[in-house]
Amino acid sequence: MSKFIIRRLVQLIPLLIGISLITFFVMHMAPGDPTSLFADPNIKPEELSRIRANWGLDKPVIVQYFVWLKNAAKLDFGYSYISGKPVIEEIFERLPATVLLMSVSFFLILLISIPVGVISAVRKGSLFDNLFTVLSFVFMSIPSFWLALIFMMVFSLKLEWFPPFGNLILPCAVMVISGLAGITRYQRASMLEVLGQEYIKVARAKGLPENIIIFKHALRNSLIPIVTLLGLSLPDLFGGAFIIETIFAWPGMGRLGVSAVFSRNYPVIMGITVLTALLIVIGNLLADIGYAMVDPRIRYAEKK
Amino acid sequence: MLKKNKLAIFGLIILSTLVLLAIFAPVFAPFDPNAILEDHIASPSMKHIFGTDDLGRDLLSRLLYGGRVSLSVAVIAVAVSLTIGILFGCLSGYYGGILDEVIMRFTDIMLSFPTIFLILAIQSVLTPSIINVMAVIGATSWMGIARLVRGEFLALKEREFVEAARAIGCSDLRIIFRHILPNSLPPVIVAGTLGMAGAILTESALSFLGLGVQPPMASWGNMLMDSQSYLLDAPWMAVMPGLVIVLTVLSLYFVGEGLREGLNPKE
Amino acid sequence: MIKTIIRALLITILSTGIVFALDYEPNGRLIMSLGGEISVINPILSTDTTSSAIEGVIFTGLVKVDKNLNFIPDLAKSWTISKNGKVWTFKLRRDVTWHDGEPFTAEDVKFTFDTILNKKVNSVRRGDYIIDGEPIVFRVVDRHTIKAILPKPFSPFLTSASMGILPKHILEGKELDMSGFNRRPVGTGPFKFVEYKAGDHVLVKRNPDYYDGAPKLKEILFKIIPDENTALVALKSGDIDETGIPPKDFHPIKHVNLYKYDALLYTYLGFNLKSPKFSDIKVRQALSYAVNRKQLIGLVLRGLAVPAYSPCSPVSWAYSDDVHKYEYDPKKANALLKEAGVKNLEFTVLVNHGSKEREKAATILQQQFEKIGVKMNIRVLEWSALLKVINARKDPKDFDAVIIGWSTGVDPDSYSIWHSSQYPTGLNFIGYDNPKVDRMLDAGRREQYKSDRKEIYAAMYKQITNDAPYIFLWYPKVLAGVRDRVGGLSEPGPTGLFLNIEEVYIKK
Repeated sequence: MSKFIIRRLVQLIPLLIGISLITFFVMHMAPGDPTSLFADPNIKPEELSRIRANWGLDKPVIVQYFVWLKNAAKLDFGYSYISGKPVIEEIFERLPATVLLMSVSFFLILLISIPVGVISAVRKGSLFDNLFTVLSFVFMSIPSFWLALIFMMVFSLKLEWFPPFGNLILPCAVMVISGLAGITRYQRASMLEVLGQEYIKVARAKGLPENIIIFKHALRNSLIPIVTLLGLSLPDLFGGAFIIETIFAWPGMGRLGVSAVFSRNYPVIMGITVLTALLIVIGNLLADIGYAMVDPRIRYAEKK
Repeated sequence: MLKKNKLAIFGLIILSTLVLLAIFAPVFAPFDPNAILEDHIASPSMKHIFGTDDLGRDLLSRLLYGGRVSLSVAVIAVAVSLTIGILFGCLSGYYGGILDEVIMRFTDIMLSFPTIFLILAIQSVLTPSIINVMAVIGATSWMGIARLVRGEFLALKEREFVEAARAIGCSDLRIIFRHILPNSLPPVIVAGTLGMAGAILTESALSFLGLGVQPPMASWGNMLMDSQSYLLDAPWMAVMPGLVIVLTVLSLYFVGEGLREGLNPKE
Repeated sequence: MIKTIIRALLITILSTGIVFALDYEPNGRLIMSLGGEISVINPILSTDTTSSAIEGVIFTGLVKVDKNLNFIPDLAKSWTISKNGKVWTFKLRRDVTWHDGEPFTAEDVKFTFDTILNKKVNSVRRGDYIIDGEPIVFRVVDRHTIKAILPKPFSPFLTSASMGILPKHILEGKELDMSGFNRRPVGTGPFKFVEYKAGDHVLVKRNPDYYDGAPKLKEILFKIIPDENTALVALKSGDIDETGIPPKDFHPIKHVNLYKYDALLYTYLGFNLKSPKFSDIKVRQALSYAVNRKQLIGLVLRGLAVPAYSPCSPVSWAYSDDVHKYEYDPKKANALLKEAGVKNLEFTVLVNHGSKEREKAATILQQQFEKIGVKMNIRVLEWSALLKVINARKDPKDFDAVIIGWSTGVDPDSYSIWHSSQYPTGLNFIGYDNPKVDRMLDAGRREQYKSDRKEIYAAMYKQITNDAPYIFLWYPKVLAGVRDRVGGLSEPGPTGLFLNIEEVYIKK
C-alpha cells in the first residue's frame, strides 16, 4: 500500500509539469494579454508596450514558461498583474471562502443523498422511490444560476429572511439542491447493481437478516463509484461555484479564477491551475486508496 | 416492471415530440424567431402563446428554434464524450499496466483543469459558435465516463464469465465488446443520460458567460440568460425555457431507465 | 469628587445636546456598491472605475472638479500660468497632513509625478505627462510651491493635475507595483483606509483632520457585488445604500430616491474606414440614415437616453448642436446606397460581451439594416479579445465595424480619438484622416481661453459629422438609486451624486 502511495506521489511531478505546460500555452494562445484590459480609453499604446516589456511578455512564450517553471520550483508563483499581490497570497485569501461553501454543501449533499439513494434502491418502485426519482431529476435540470436568482428574489426580496449577500445559507442551499440529484442517482444505481449481484443472493439464501445484508455488504460496495465521484468533483471546487459566487457576492476562488482568465492574469491563472491540480491528484489518490479499502477484490488484485 | 416500461414509453413519447417539434420548427413556429415585433414583454396571449421577450420576439418561435440548437448541442456533445470516454475506459480497465497508467495520467491531467476554466480558455482562443460549443463540451466531459467504465472493467474482468470466455479462446476485442462492455453499460447509460442534461446546463452556463451560442440565435440556454433580469417582471420568459429543459431531461431519464432494464445482463 | 461628578454630568449633557442638535447621525456608515473586483488602491496605477471610486475618498490632487465641471483648488490653493503658457505655478495649502500625521509638502507632488514618469513603474498615466515626446518637468520651488514646466502650451494639463498625490515619506525607494501600500493606502483625502477584505469589501473611516472639514459620515463601506440583479435586491432590502439601476428596473422603489442624470459618455457604431466596404462616404451615410434611434433607445434603454448625433456630450461646455444630423430616413438611405452602386452589402460588427445593452442594440440594428438590404452579422467577443483586435498594430485592422462607447474626460480635447497620427497605434482605431480636423485638434490644445476653444471645437464637430466616421447612437443617462436615509448628496450631474463626499450624511 505504501509503495502504491509513494509511486503516485512521485508521478505528481510530471503531471504538474504537463498541466502547467498545457495551461500556459493555451492561455498565451488566447487573443489579448493583460494590458488589453486596461479599460481607460485614454491610455497610449506605447505605455502598454512598455508595461508588457516590464512583465517580460515580449519574450517568446517558451522562454516565459521556463522562467515561470524555475520560479515555481522555488514555490515562487510571482505577482498578480492586477493587484500586484503575491499570487500565493491572492489565492489563499480567497480559498477559505470557497472551501467553507464547498465543504458545507458537500457534507449536506452526502448526508441527504446517500440515505435517499439507498432507500430508493431498497424500496425500488415504491412511492418514495418514484417521488424522489422525479424530484432528483427536477432539481438536476434547474440551472443553478436560475435557482440562485429565484432564491434571492423569494428569500431576500419578498420574504426578507436572509440578506442577499454575506450569508452562507442561500448559496449553500442552491449548491446542495443542484448537486443533490447527481449523487443520489449514482448512489441508487450503484446500490441497485450491488443488490442484484450473486453474493447478495447467496447471503439472503444463507438466511442473513436483511439489515445486515444492506448495511454491511451492499452499502459498502455501493459506495465505490461514489468514492470515485467525490474525487472527480474537486475541480468544481473552483470553477463550478463561480456563478453562485457572482450572484451572491461570495468572495471565493471561483470568481478569482474566472476573472483571471478574462483579464489574462497569467500568474494567477498558473497558480490556481497548479493548486487545483495538486488537490485533484491528492483527491484521486485518496479516492483510490478508499476504493482499495472498500473493495477487497481490488486490494487482492493489487497484491498479486 | 410494467410500470417502468410505461414510464419509459412516456419519456420516449415526450422526447420524440420535442425532437420532432425542433426538427420541424419552421413549420410550427408562428413567427420568425428573430423578428422584432410590436409588443415587447407581452404576457402570454392568443397572439403570442408564450408571450414575447424584452426585444419583442415571439417566445414560442424562439423556443422551437432554440430546441434545434440546444438538442443538437446536447446530442453531439454527449456522443463525443461517450466515444472518447468508453474507448479510454475499456482500454485502461481491461489491459491495465502501462496503457492504464498512460491513459489515467492523461485523464488526470484533463480532470485537473476545472472544467469551466478549460472551456473558458478554449473558447477564448476560438470564436464561439455552435460547433465548437459541442466539441468543447464533449471534449471536456468524457473523463467521468472513462473512469466509470474503467472502474466497471476492473471489477468485472475478474468475474467468472470473463474467465470462461477466455478459456474458450475469445479474442480480447471480443471479450471487451461482446462480454464486458454490455455489462458495464448500465451505469454508463445513466451517465450518458445525465451527460445530456449536463450538456444542456453547461451550454446555458456558457451562454451566461457569453461564450455559448451567439445572439441573435436562440438556444434554451441563452433564453434563460436573457430572462435573468426579468424574473420578477416577466416570469414567462424564464419559465418556458426552464420547463422545456426539465421535460427533456425527465424524458431522457425515463428512457434511460427503460434501457437500463432492457440491457440488464441477468434478464 | 463632586467636581468630577459635575464635570462628568456637564460633558454628558453637552454631548447629548450636541447629538440632539445634529440633524444627522454622527456615527453614520454609508454602504456603497462596487460592480467588480478592485485592482489596486493607487491612483497612478489603477485603471478601473471600481478602484477609482475608493481612491476618490482616500486621495486628493492639486485640483478637483466642481459640479459644473470647472477645475477648482484642492491641494493647490491657487495657480498661475506664465505668459507663454508653458510654466504652471501651483501654490499649495499649508494645513494638509497625511493620514499618518506627516505634513504634506511640494516634495510629495514632485515625487508622485516623477514616479508616474518613471519607465520602470507600470503606470499607464505616463503618456498624459508627455507632450509630443517630451516629458513635463516638475520643480519644487519651496515647501508649498511647485512648478510644472511644459514643453509647449497645453490646455488640457489641468486634467492631469487632478491626479491623486502619493506620500513620498512612505513610498520613496520602494517598488510601487508590488508594494503593500496598494492594499493599505495612505492619502490626504476625507477618509482614511481601515481594511480591505479581498473580493469582498473595503472599509474607510472619517479623517477628522481633513483640511476642508471633517466629513459627516463616520465610515464608508464599499461592498463588491458583481451581479447587478443582486445589487438591486440589496438596495431594495436596505443592505446597501446606493447602486446603479438598469433601465428596465427604473421605477419607484420604497425608501429609495431615484436619480437620472447626464454624463460624459456616448455609445456609437464605428466603421473601419480602411476597409473597402466603408471607404465610400455614401455607404456610411446611408447606414447612418437607416438607424431609427427612437426605436433603438426605446427597446434597449426604455427611453432613458438621448439620441446622439455628435462626438461631444451635451453636458460638456464644448457641445454644439450645429452638426450634420443623420435623422431616421430609410428612403434617403436606400437612395444613397443606390448612388454608391452598392448591392448586398454584408459586414460583421463586433460587440463586447458584458454589455447587454450593446448586444441588444446590435440585434436591433441588424433588423434596421436588413430593411435597407444590408446584412450585418454580430460577433460577441470577450473584452480583452475585442481590445486586441481594435488596438492591433496593423493597417488595415481585422474588423469591419464595432459598437462601443467613449467616456470622455472633463476636458473636451479628443486628440487621441480623431487625430490622424493616432492610427494604427492610438485611439483612432477606425483610421480617420482629415487634415482640417487635425489642425483644429492641434489648435484646440494650444488655445488657452474657453471661448476660443469652443469655436474651434464647434467647427470641428461639424466637419467630423459630415464625414460620418461613426454612427453616433446615444448619450446614456446615468440611473442611480439611493436609500432615503442618505442626505447631503450633490446635485445630480456628470460629476455624480457623491462629489462632495464630506457633506454626505445618514439621517437620524
